[in-house]
Amino acid sequence: MLSRRELIKLGVLSGSGVLLGEKATELLSKAEAAAQRTPGFYPLNDPENQIYSVCLQCNTGCPIKVKIYEGVVAKIDGSPYSPWTLYPHLPLDTSLEKAAKVDGGICPKGQSGLQTVYDPYRIRKVLKRAGPRGSGKWKEIPFEQAVREIAEGGKLFAEIGDERVYPGLKEVWALKDPQVMKAMKARVDEIWHEKDPAKKKALVERFKEEFKDYLDALIDPDHPDLGPKNNQVVFAYGRLKAGRSEFFKWFFQNGLGTVNFHGHTTVCQGSLYFTGKAMSYQLAYDEKKGEYTWTGGEKFYWQADLTGAEFVIFVGANIFEGNYGPPLRVKEVTQGAASGKLRYVVLDPRAQKGVAHATKWIPTKSGYDAAVAFGMMRWMFAKGRFDARFLSAANKGAAKAIGEPSWTTATWLVEIDEKGFPAKLLRMSHLGMAPEVRVMDGKEVVFDHPVVLVQGKPTPVDPQSEDKPVFGDLFVDTTLNGIRVKSALQLIREEAFSRSLEEWAELAGVEPEDIVWLAHEFTSHGKRAVVDIHRGASQHTNGFYNAFAWNVLNALVGNYDHHGGYVRASTYDLVGKKAEGPFYLDKLHPKKLEPFGISIIRHEVDYEKTTLFEGYPAKRPWFPHSSDVYQEILPSAAQGYPYPVKILFHYMGSPAYALPAGHTQIQAMLDPEKIPLIVAFDIVVGDTYLYADYIIPDLSYLERWEFHGSHPNVIWKVQTVRQPAMAPIPEEVEVFGEKMPLSTEAFLLALAEYLGVPGFGEKGFANGMPFRRPEDFYLKMVANLAFGEKADGSDAVPEADDRELEIFKQARRHLPPSVFDLERWKAAIGDEGLFRRAVYVLNRGGRFQAFEKAIKPDGTVANAYGRQINLYLEKHAKSKNSMTGKPYWPLPRFFTPYTDALGRPIQDEEEGFELTLITHRWITMTKSRTISNYWLLNITPENHIAINPEDARRLGLKDGELVKVVSASNEAGVWDLGPLGKKPMVGKVKVMEGIRPGHLAFALGFGHWAYGASDMEINGQVVKADPRRATGIHANAAMRVDPVLKDVGLTDITGGSVVFYDSKVRLVRPTPEEARTYGEGVRRVALEGPAGVQAEEIREKALKAARGELDPEVLRQEVASRLGLTPKV
Amino acid sequence: MKTAFGFPNLAVEVGMSEVESRRAFLEKVASTVFAGMVLGGQPVKAGAEPAKVELPPRPPDGPILPELEYEDVLLRMQRDLERALNKGTTPKWVMVIDTRKCVGCHACTISCAVENKLPPGVVYRPVVEEQVGVYPQVTWKFLPRPCMQCDNPPCVPVCPVGATWKREDGIVEIDYDACIGCRYCLVSCPYQARTFDFGENWTQNTPGQGQMPYEELPTFEWGEVHVRKEGVIPNSPVGNARKCSFCLHRIEHGLLPQCVTTCIGRATFFGDASDPESLVFQLIHQPNVMRLKEELGTEPRVYYLV
Repeated sequence: MLSRRELIKLGVLSGSGVLLGEKATELLSKAEAAAQRTPGFYPLNDPENQIYSVCLQCNTGCPIKVKIYEGVVAKIDGSPYSPWTLYPHLPLDTSLEKAAKVDGGICPKGQSGLQTVYDPYRIRKVLKRAGPRGSGKWKEIPFEQAVREIAEGGKLFAEIGDERVYPGLKEVWALKDPQVMKAMKARVDEIWHEKDPAKKKALVERFKEEFKDYLDALIDPDHPDLGPKNNQVVFAYGRLKAGRSEFFKWFFQNGLGTVNFHGHTTVCQGSLYFTGKAMSYQLAYDEKKGEYTWTGGEKFYWQADLTGAEFVIFVGANIFEGNYGPPLRVKEVTQGAASGKLRYVVLDPRAQKGVAHATKWIPTKSGYDAAVAFGMMRWMFAKGRFDARFLSAANKGAAKAIGEPSWTTATWLVEIDEKGFPAKLLRMSHLGMAPEVRVMDGKEVVFDHPVVLVQGKPTPVDPQSEDKPVFGDLFVDTTLNGIRVKSALQLIREEAFSRSLEEWAELAGVEPEDIVWLAHEFTSHGKRAVVDIHRGASQHTNGFYNAFAWNVLNALVGNYDHHGGYVRASTYDLVGKKAEGPFYLDKLHPKKLEPFGISIIRHEVDYEKTTLFEGYPAKRPWFPHSSDVYQEILPSAAQGYPYPVKILFHYMGSPAYALPAGHTQIQAMLDPEKIPLIVAFDIVVGDTYLYADYIIPDLSYLERWEFHGSHPNVIWKVQTVRQPAMAPIPEEVEVFGEKMPLSTEAFLLALAEYLGVPGFGEKGFANGMPFRRPEDFYLKMVANLAFGEKADGSDAVPEADDRELEIFKQARRHLPPSVFDLERWKAAIGDEGLFRRAVYVLNRGGRFQAFEKAIKPDGTVANAYGRQINLYLEKHAKSKNSMTGKPYWPLPRFFTPYTDALGRPIQDEEEGFELTLITHRWITMTKSRTISNYWLLNITPENHIAINPEDARRLGLKDGELVKVVSASNEAGVWDLGPLGKKPMVGKVKVMEGIRPGHLAFALGFGHWAYGASDMEINGQVVKADPRRATGIHANAAMRVDPVLKDVGLTDITGGSVVFYDSKVRLVRPTPEEARTYGEGVRRVALEGPAGVQAEEIREKALKAARGELDPEVLRQEVASRLGLTPKV
Repeated sequence: MKTAFGFPNLAVEVGMSEVESRRAFLEKVASTVFAGMVLGGQPVKAGAEPAKVELPPRPPDGPILPELEYEDVLLRMQRDLERALNKGTTPKWVMVIDTRKCVGCHACTISCAVENKLPPGVVYRPVVEEQVGVYPQVTWKFLPRPCMQCDNPPCVPVCPVGATWKREDGIVEIDYDACIGCRYCLVSCPYQARTFDFGENWTQNTPGQGQMPYEELPTFEWGEVHVRKEGVIPNSPVGNARKCSFCLHRIEHGLLPQCVTTCIGRATFFGDASDPESLVFQLIHQPNVMRLKEELGTEPRVYYLV
């Protein structure tokens, strides 16, 4: 018998009419029957069918519950235990039965996660390239072969006619003795601290003499500060969170001893992070160094607390679609905005969806937003509308006296040198005052304190003193002891007054009235007004200083650490440091290497101190104040500066796709002569790992362990646990005699087993416990989290009772023994009680502070930053930009965006590249890794290039027209993909009012060339591409290549960020051939009615029948007769 | 054909259980590189799962968090829902959508699609979005549009086989066994709430062959277990008109519809309009309430706050 569908297709229905008519009669009584029916089968909200974990469809990391049916992930929803997904969230002691029935909110990507984990293009076995890099030709090889080849090196690609000898880990794991490495590190520090070139050279000679037996382990004995050959192993990563991070460091840093372990921060919002770091250094006693100095700068940033804010200015922050993140923040915005409690403004060249409920959209010129901040400051200084009380507090004691958790350096005096440069802090000794001397750790330490004026009188400030409060004069411009000094706040005011309000407004491309209104409103809510900044402010060549200016604006209203103000993240300790147990990871490595030397990205060291110094500009920029400079990793490795790289491991990243000027990253990878071996870890063959030599299949976010941590706007102390929730897709392998799914962990464990890397195996941990499996490591971290931060155990969570333990077991009944084995999991922790506490945490997907605990009665947040906030950056003033030889500017200042590595303006407009290209996210896409989600693609099947009607008219462009994006550094407007060919950057124009004239915007996530978007060859067989994954445009290759370096995108030399939002481009008409390469996206909604039927007429009759104006039976029979159905009477 | 609780005995219906067929497939292609060539997921031990069929537990008694001064609106609505289910008379379900809180994120659309494993072409709850205004006075309009569960539903009288009807609780139901797939209801709906299941699958032209594990899972909509297969499979929605059910299968268990629970702006409300103490009762009696195409006389059970 034909199926119903086939009948419809054929248009033949009459044959079955009798049967169907009979059924219809039978069904008439169904309406009554339905009311009495017992509830149907629905197992998804039973606790034994749910595993709590953490989403990773973007980095917001919303806690989730994974619902399992028939051993398959059937649905994902938000966890009710977490502040991300329920507001207020349920108390941690809520029973699993209750929580099982409460589903929290997550975004469309989170909902769609099934299609990431059950992606038909996921890889299950190790792939080794079977053609040149980027050819898309692969061969699957046994796991053991991959381990052996990468460990041993050799003629690895002889099979494809490549006779090159590739390096293996054996060769680069050169220095293995922790003592020697430590001693070398100390000597290198001495070399770096020596300023006299001749003496420096002598120290190098002494080094060579002292370590003469180990010189062959060094990259270059004449430059011992390059470190050992171990550094020629680089581990670079995209999305890596805690837990996995510790695991990988255990292998690469502590095991293999490489200094090169670099993240991707600068492609996100690096300059924002490193502004936070600069502003959070404390002037205090540094135990390690044994001196009173700048210490404890944290790589972090602040965000607005939307739970209490009354007025928020979002700057370059995509509040509804990105911004850490929608489920977490949107519910607070919508409820606040709809009730009138919260008003907010969006500063963005693009009318993001956030403008929907905003008080105002202010379309600033991309890269010029800081001019608004300075305009506001100018008005606030002029009107005296700032928090003078907060700013006058110069140390901890003063902050305490006025009920503030934090204090600023606004009143600290800065010495102005003869060139007018704010060169350093005024110290006691400079005024002839005797510095304080204290005995610390049995040693005399000089505390040469900074100085403020207190009612005109120079007064030393001990920043960390609680009992000696100092309140300084705010605005100081004077000469003391012959030294020209100004207060930090005075210097900031001078910057604000360096231009008129109208000039600031013009720079930003806004109306002066907007600035005044913003400033007035911003200063009308006490500490409940706040600026929230994100990538849009930081991803410019002036990003560091943009972020700095906005952070200072927040300081002017004193909203740091206040409910509704500027807040930071707080997470529970995972590594057992605070309680020094139960598993203090730092002390558990039996033979830990502590890597040293200049990193491949030359970070956290001054160029001038190193033996590589040879004047300015340096060959490539150095980054003394930032780290994880993603865009520099591959080009530096390819250039061999500061030294060649032998083996590059790359984890869950896609620099070619994600980075501006990503095509330069492809060029860096194409030639094995430049980077000999590239080993990648991922779940698919993505747009970057297409260029790898080996791809190790990894576990997806629903199959693996990780701790996702928190975000600055989460005021609760939390820690979230990602844990295996589904049976793994990759093949099973055996390591240390144990079966486990193939994964990054399995691969590293296997390398450790093969090479004998200490810290793994039978007695892998210093306490004698084995480290043979991923859980051996991760469950110890879960135990630490469950135990809490008090050595006496008073901070521990309860033990899971028998019922909870049973649910725990039941919920994992679909996991194979190679993943879940209760006895083995117990053994990884050891103590039964501690294991039960760990189960309690795992049953809830983490630890979440009680809702009411985050805010104190005095209106400050419980998990406060609570320290010194630098408004003047002495460390910056004292260090030099390696490209210009000039000191870094130490104060907020307006810098024009779009400059080259030497700080010179780039003049592309003069060559006709007049439109500024910006990117943004849609909530339906996470950059490089959600194109596999077909449900999401049915919402946004393709992206477009948004252009203002004014520009469209001028350029003669019509909505929907195809254009090609070209720029001064990519005049051809193509992605050069190496062997895969050239992909023109063709996109569809969308004429929209919601974009500032002169700007173009496209959403990230489309325009793929891999990840299933192009054919591949595996074992000689073609795996066909899916055209739905090749839609839209990815125009990052039009972004400006640095004119000086020529192999990387533009960079903020201070904050490290790569530039996303300033490139000048032009739109040209593609050739017909180019236009044909465009992948059209189609939204599938099956609304088609029956063929040959007048829809209008039927609808009218149906509506009449619905209203009772036509006998329903008449209509029913009409339709039946049209279909040829003859009801049986 | 069905077990006591509506769970079809698949072994009878298709000759082989889902689990067995999945395992057979797994063995067949165990050496392949791509996940799509293998249906992932650990096979469940034979016999383990069917034995699990049992009546669902009662909803939790009383408020979940009485100690908190305020609570997530989801909890409030869940309490309302439990009260409605226990009051003894048929509730009158309504949905309320606050357009001032919708952010156009489409989480509801996707959550619904995943809950009901909706294939290509079938959309129960689209969100219509539009940017409006003239630079720089620009804003956005978002309109989630589920089935209106009209009190005067035009889709019901047009059905030639009586496969769709209005329930006492207000929901317009479809019987997949009765529907002949003629699609007259699609054109009769003024809200375009019904779409057609042509039997397509998301991964059919990929290495997944339309058989990735989530595509083969049964779903529970309308309170019944559906296996989405072509051919004479009872309860298969393939070849049927399909639409939003207000997540009837969840409501019956005291759970809110999935579009409500996942709404990140908390813009969607659900409950019993006949209960004056319910949140939705309060909301639909506010002055800023409207319904779509009121003039057609369909009497929708979905309200909008503007």
